[in-house]
Order: sequence, then C-alpha cells, then structure tokens
Amino acid sequence: MNHSLLVRPIAKHEWIITTVIASLLIVVMPLLNSFGVISDFTINLWGKYLCYAMLAISVDLLWGYTGLLSLGQALFFSLGGYMMGMYLMRMIGDMGQYHKDMPDFLVFLGWEQLPTFWKPFSSFPFAMIMMLLIPGIVSLIFGFLAFRSRVKGVYFSILTQALTYGASLMFFRNDMLMGGNNGFTDFRFILGFDIRSAGTKRGLFIVTAIVLTAIYVGLRCLTRSRFGLVQQAVRDSENRVLFSGYSSPNFKLFIFVLSALIGSIGGALYVPQVGIINPSEMTTEKSLEAVVWTAVGGRGTLVGPIVGAISVNALKSWATRAYPDLWLIILGGMFILVVLFLPKGIVGVPGMIRDMLKKRGRPREPDETPIKTPKEEAA
Amino acid sequence: MLFWLAASRAARECGPSYLNIALMIRRRRILGIENASQAKSQNWFASQHATIALLKDMRLKSICLLSCLTIFLAVGLTAQEAQQRSVREIIAEAVTLTEDSNAQVKLLVSLTGRGDANIAPLLTAWKEGAVYLLPGTDGKKVAVTFAGDPDAAKMEAAIRVDTKEPLKDSAGAVVRVLPSKAEAAETDSSLRKAMKAVIDLAKVAAPDPKDRLMAITQLAMDRDVAKLPILEARLQVETDGKVKQAVKEAVALTQLRSPDAAVRLTGCNALEAMHPLSSKDALEGIIKEAAKANDQALLSSAKRALAAVESHRTVVNFLGTIFRGLSLGSVLLVVAIGLAITFGLMGVINMAHGELIAVGAYTTYVVQCVFAEGLALSPFGIKMHLPGMNATGWWYEMYFVIALPMAFIMAALVGLALERGVIRFLYRRPLESLLATWGVSLVLQQIFRLVFGSNNVQVNSPSWLSDNWTINDVIFGWNRVFVIGFAILIVIGTWALLSKTPLGLLIRAVMQNRNMAACLGVRTERVNMLTFGFGSGLAGLAGAFLSQIGNVGPSLGQSYIVDAFMTVVVGGVGSLIGTVASAIGIGVVDQSLQQILGNPVLGKILVLGAIILFLQWRPAGIFVTKTRSLES
Repeated sequence: MNHSLLVRPIAKHEWIITTVIASLLIVVMPLLNSFGVISDFTINLWGKYLCYAMLAISVDLLWGYTGLLSLGQALFFSLGGYMMGMYLMRMIGDMGQYHKDMPDFLVFLGWEQLPTFWKPFSSFPFAMIMMLLIPGIVSLIFGFLAFRSRVKGVYFSILTQALTYGASLMFFRNDMLMGGNNGFTDFRFILGFDIRSAGTKRGLFIVTAIVLTAIYVGLRCLTRSRFGLVQQAVRDSENRVLFSGYSSPNFKLFIFVLSALIGSIGGALYVPQVGIINPSEMTTEKSLEAVVWTAVGGRGTLVGPIVGAISVNALKSWATRAYPDLWLIILGGMFILVVLFLPKGIVGVPGMIRDMLKKRGRPREPDETPIKTPKEEAA
Repeated sequence: MLFWLAASRAARECGPSYLNIALMIRRRRILGIENASQAKSQNWFASQHATIALLKDMRLKSICLLSCLTIFLAVGLTAQEAQQRSVREIIAEAVTLTEDSNAQVKLLVSLTGRGDANIAPLLTAWKEGAVYLLPGTDGKKVAVTFAGDPDAAKMEAAIRVDTKEPLKDSAGAVVRVLPSKAEAAETDSSLRKAMKAVIDLAKVAAPDPKDRLMAITQLAMDRDVAKLPILEARLQVETDGKVKQAVKEAVALTQLRSPDAAVRLTGCNALEAMHPLSSKDALEGIIKEAAKANDQALLSSAKRALAAVESHRTVVNFLGTIFRGLSLGSVLLVVAIGLAITFGLMGVINMAHGELIAVGAYTTYVVQCVFAEGLALSPFGIKMHLPGMNATGWWYEMYFVIALPMAFIMAALVGLALERGVIRFLYRRPLESLLATWGVSLVLQQIFRLVFGSNNVQVNSPSWLSDNWTINDVIFGWNRVFVIGFAILIVIGTWALLSKTPLGLLIRAVMQNRNMAACLGVRTERVNMLTFGFGSGLAGLAGAFLSQIGNVGPSLGQSYIVDAFMTVVVGGVGSLIGTVASAIGIGVVDQSLQQILGNPVLGKILVLGAIILFLQWRPAGIFVTKTRSLES
C-alpha cells in the first residue's frame, strides 16, 4: 500500500478490520441469504440501511469534516433516486396499465409521445451519467453562489433548507413531468433482471455494499491526505486557512459537490431496492434525519455515520411497529440527548468512558495550604 | 259573472300571468289600498311599474282595461279581505280551490308585492307537488305539507299550510298519512306561470337589501329580456345605494339582449360608464354580434365599454395584489418577529419556533372550546375534560380577545421551559442548538398529535373578523386588515420594549457582548431567559392569528418555518426594521408573482430562488449590523 499521498498514514490493523467487515457485508451476508439463513426481507432492509449510510456519510463529510451543516442532502439523494427511477420507468416498457411504451402518469397527463428529455433514459449508462451530472451541476451552482458570498454557519443551513423546499415544491407539480405527488413506482426490470426476484435483491445488496466500501475507503484516504487536513482546518478556523493562502471557498465547493455525488449514488441504489421514489423523500425533515444518524453515530469520523444510519434505522424499524405513536418522540428525544450529552456519538462513547476513568484515576485534591498575606510570608 | 269569466279567459289566453298581476295592481290602485309601511309601499310601486311596463310590451292594453273593470266589479271586496290575511292563509285557500283555476291565479296574484319569506318556499313546494290535500274535520279539504318525519309505517305528520300547525282529526290527534297515498295539489300551466312571476317579484322586492341584492344579481346573470321591465321599475324606487348600483348594472346587461338596437346601444353606454367586472363576457358577445351585423355605432360603443371594463379590472387586480401582498407580508412579519428576536438578537436557531406558533394556535382553539361547550382531550390515554361556559352572542365572540394574551403566555411558558431545559447549554454552539431544537419540534408535533389528534381542529373566526369591505370591487377581508393592524402594533411594541425600557437596554447589552455585560453585573442568564420567553410569546401571538386565516393542525408550524427564517435572513439578522422591510417585500413580490404567473407554487419557487440570488448581492441582508469583528 502506497501511503505517500497520506499525510497521516492509516494503521495496518485498521485495514484488516475494514477488510473483514467489508467481506462480511459483501460475501458472507449474501451467502447466508442464498442458503436461507438470512431472509430476503432482511437483506433488502440492510440494503436500504447501507444506502442510508451513504447519505449519512455525505452529511458527515460536510458537517463533521468541514463544518457545513447542509440540510439539502436529501435533495441530492432523491435527485439520484429520480435519475435511476427514470431509467426504471423506461424499463417498464408497455407493461403499464395503459400498455403504451411510456410511463403511466404521462399517458394520464395526456401525452401522446414520450417527452424528449425522457427518451435517452432508456439507456442505463446515460441514466448513470445523469445521476452524477444533475446533482453535480445543482450542487456546483448552488455551492459556487453560496461560498462565493461567504455564506456560512447557520445561514448555509437555512439556504440549503430553502433550496430543498423549493425543489420539493417543484417536484410535487405534475407539469414537471416527474410523476408529481406519486413519483415513480411499479418498477419491473433493472438491466434485464426482474427487480422483484430474490436474486436481484441480493445482487443489489452486494453492489450497495461494494460501493459503500469503496466510498468509505476513498474518503478515509481523502481525509488523511493533505487535502483532508486543509478541509478540517476550514472547519476549525476558516480565517486562518484564508490567511495562510488557501482559497477556502474552492475547498468547500469541492467537498460540497463530492458529498452531493455520494448522496446521489446512495439514492440511485436506494430506489431499486425500495421500489418507489417521490417528492416526500426530498424534504428538509429527511435531511435532518440523516443529520441525526450522523450525530448519533458520531460525527467527524467515517465509521460514525455508518453505525448511526444502521442503528437508528434499525431502531426505527422496530419502534414504528412497536410504538407507532411514540416514534417521533423517541427520535426527537434521542436527538436532544445526543446533542446535549453525547457530542461525539456512539463511536465516541469508549473515548468518553476512558476520559472519565482517567479523571477518576487522579482526583483533584483541594489545595489546603492557607493563603498567606505578604507580611506573614515575610515572617 | 259572465263578464268576469270572459275577461279572465281573455287575460289567460293573451298573456302570461304577468297580465293577471297587472290586473290586480290596477284594481288595487283603484281601490286605493296602500300598505302601511314605507318599505312595503315602495316594493308595491316597484311591482306596479314593472307590470305596467310589461303590459306595454305585450300590447294588451285594451284587453287589460276591459278586464280591469270587470275584475274590479267582481272581486273587489274579496281582494280587500285577502290583503289582510296572511300569506300562508291565502296560499292555503288557493290550493283548496281545485275546481276554479281562475280563482287560484287570482289569489296568487293578490300576493304580488308582498316581500314575505313564506311565498317562495311554499309556492315552490306546490309547483313541485309537495303540497297535498287532505280531508279536514269538517269534510272540507285542507292544504297540508308533510313534516318529513317518517315513522315505522313511513307515515308522516301533516302540517297545515295556513297555520303551520299539525293537522288534527276530530279527536285532536295529529293526522299521520302515507305521503304516497295522499292527493297532491295539482297545478296547470297558467298557475305555474303566475307562481313564477310572483316568486320573482317577491324576491326583487324583498324587505332585506341583501336578499334584494341576491335576486337582482341572479337576474343580471339570467339576462332575460322579459324581466327588463321589472328591473327598470325597481330602479325607480330603489333607495339602497348598493342595490341601486346592482339594478343599474343588471338593467344595462339585460339591455344588451334586447331586440331593439337602440336599447342595446344604451346598455353599452351605461356599461362603459359603470364598467362592472361581470360584463366582460356579455360585451365580448355583443362585439361579435355587432361585427356580424356591421353595426358601427354599437361596435365602437361596446369596444369602448370593454376597454373601460378591462382597465378597471387592471386597477382592481393591482390594488388587490398590493393589499394581499401587504397582508401576507404582515403574516410573515408576525411569524418572523419572534424569530427576529430569538435568532436575530440571541443567535439561537430555534427550529421549534414553528411549534411555538402552533402552541399559540392550539391555545386559541382551547379558549374557544372553553367559551363554547368545553373540550374533551385524551393525551397519552388520560381522559381530560375542560368544562365549557356555553357562552353565546357577543360574549362568545370575545373569546379571541381572551385567546390573544393566553396564546402569548402559553407559548412564552413553553419557550421558557425550552430555554432552561435545552438551549442554555448551547449558546456557544449555534449549529447544535439547531439540531436540538429540531428534536424538540419533533417531540412537540407528536404531542400535538397525541393530544388534539392528527386532523386539523376547527377554529371559528369571530364575526367581527369574518366579514369584508368591498370598495370599488376590491375586497378587503376584515381578518386581513386586522392582521395588518396587529402587525403594526406588535412591531411598535417590540421596538418600544427594546429601545425604551430598562429591560430592552439590558437585552441589547447582553446580545452585543455577553461577557462584558456579565462583568458589569448584568444577570445575563436571566436576560437570556426573558428574551427567549418574549420571542416565544410573540410566536404564540402569531399562532393565534394564523388560526384565523388558515388551518390549525400538528404541522402548522412546519409550513411557516422556512418562510420565517428566510424573512429574518433577508432582512438582516439582528435588525428589526430589516425584518419589517423584508417581510413586506417578500409578501408583495410573492403575491405579484402569483398574479402574473397565475400559479402559487411557481411563484413560491421563484421567490426562493430570488432570495438565494439576493443574498449573493447582500450576504448579510438588507440592513447590516456593522461590526469590526472578523468572525460573525
């Protein structure tokens, strides 16, 4: 392994742990599934969690590493989802309710022919390019405008929130020709495979796990490189970075676009696994939920968001069934508690305990020598 | 008697029932019968004029005169009696005279000019076969309607038409009959025509100006040339300004349908002078007709009238847009001013601000329920019952006055708890206060759902907020006017608090430099708490208002929070005047874009885009708080 690019090299045992966990996800879980030990439902659910993990990583890259709390990550996630959705809609072909070679909602809206911008989405590579291009362009333009005028801190959050809100309003409209309220659903085929078969689901899970691993490893290297150090310096003191001669807006723009792309890839893998995409995925609440996952897992680390996304969603899957009325209270309460008492998240818990033990190890003894006046000292 | 028969037959053959009405009127005038009240006599003359004009139209003058005399001789006395009887009695008698349809018509005609509310429903019921004849105790037939209370055998109680009392048999028990077995009172065509005419005239001459206005508006929509004389006659006697204007418009609109070209031209000219918005379609129709008939005078007149209408429409739309923009701006201002304090002055991102608004709105709901029948709630499975005061009338209407301070107090209390429990630990970590308060907002929303249900609750506007003024076709809703007025009051109050009171001085000192203030002996903790409570209270007030103009539900706050933050950011954080300017600016721009694009959602998206671009130009908002420090 060539570590020359990495300013802070990565320890060997970390590589080993990463490899073990990755192979667990990529090889062992699908194998167990094919032998029937793990149900198809679980595999599908975990596939979903892994996609959420990508969203959480994209939030963390911005928030934990650069200090930018973006509430627009759900927008990029669902933009990616929509691009994949367009391809999947084209793959339905004439098997829809109206038996025309175009999506049902377009027939319903009175379109005789497929609108021009829909046509190239029959091709998978094109859809994938658009999946990267569209969120990339949106984030590039928005990021350029925002960072150029030095929008930062909470203003950045509020602006990204407005961007997401505006976009969801747009996608809710029928004349956007993106399915309006109902979005896309009833997918049938992906790359010629039946999307509902267990085999396809397993395949999608494997792909998701591989992509997540690649993203993790890539970002792990990036944050340990010279670039990553500047990025974290921007978080800690942007003015010093500026005065040191770095153009911090460019760094932030790069990170913003990169995290938009990661979110978008997550969304694109998410849609075939859950089988639906609609504008309610695009709301600020979804972005904030991803922020919760990151916060719960532990921000400023790359493992944290993955742990957070999986654990919070597993909790959600359980709580929404066991206590449907109380789920929001649990989520909200968890949020408050984590912010107030666990600033480093689950991942940070061992460190906190270690610190506490250390403090207990050497208790501060009060200095009981009485204070003397100069006169007494002289005497 | 022979005379009478001949005359009435002539009347029935020659013209519709209007003729009979005319006869009746003539007779009355001859007899010199006049109604006691001024209003009634006006109505009375109106119908007189109407019918006379009608008669001219029908060219039946000669027959009329003849029959007039005969009727006068024949039924003068009975008619005088009829005048003193109630409308119900007359109609009941008319129904029972099944053998003599002339007499029926005559009796109906005697109702002309009476603005009695019973006429229209009873006659309509008769026309539709819902009036029945049953044998009474003395063997004579009695006119009845059915009460609509079917029992097990589907029998219904019979209600006498003349007295509105239940029909009783000789033993004194209420008669119950199977409606399908009863004999329905029949009508023939002459009778139906008479009914229709009487109903129309009764409506136009109704004693309440509002009813008159409605009837006339309907006539203006029908544009029936045959009714033109009714309207013209009404015009002569109408005294109510609004109704008179409506009659004028109706006359002009109906004139456009006249076969006489000169009348049409008069109509056009009148429309040009009045330019009512409703005449657009009619004028476009007449322009087409005139172009076809090559009538230059009419064509140019109609075109001028249409231009006048269009320019009037532009003015009305413009003024309406400005007003709606101002009122939307005021709503934004009321919503954002609390945020301007907690976010702008204290730097706390309170994502639960929307839920504080909802607290205010729900408080209004609870106060309203307490004024009415009370309220049963079941939070977390615990049954709670708030007793009601069962207030009615003006006392009930005053609930909103009580609700305003209550909303302020409740929201302020919730805000204080929030500040003490969560926010005070996060003053130095604004991003985290955003997250924690978002958690609070989730919890609060779910609590609303558990306490009040996930559906919207019904908040009734008091009557002094639910009417409107219509000035020159621009509608000014009282609630909107009230919001504008209240926004002004709140701004002045907040400004006075911040700049004229000792507390305001402390607040500003703490916000400018917390450490310095603390060193000088200001109890910053307490000031923070009070400031946050005040900002939250203002959110509660906003909620009380929003309950009057929108839905009250668990997600009420969510729909305003983005707009509120935008307003504060655009205005310049920490600047009260900036918040005012940006709220009104955003409100007016939003409404104008809606007007221009004709699409609210597109308008909203454009406004959001415009705000993002605006912040490029002025990153710190309209009014920048000047500072020399590097980090803001």
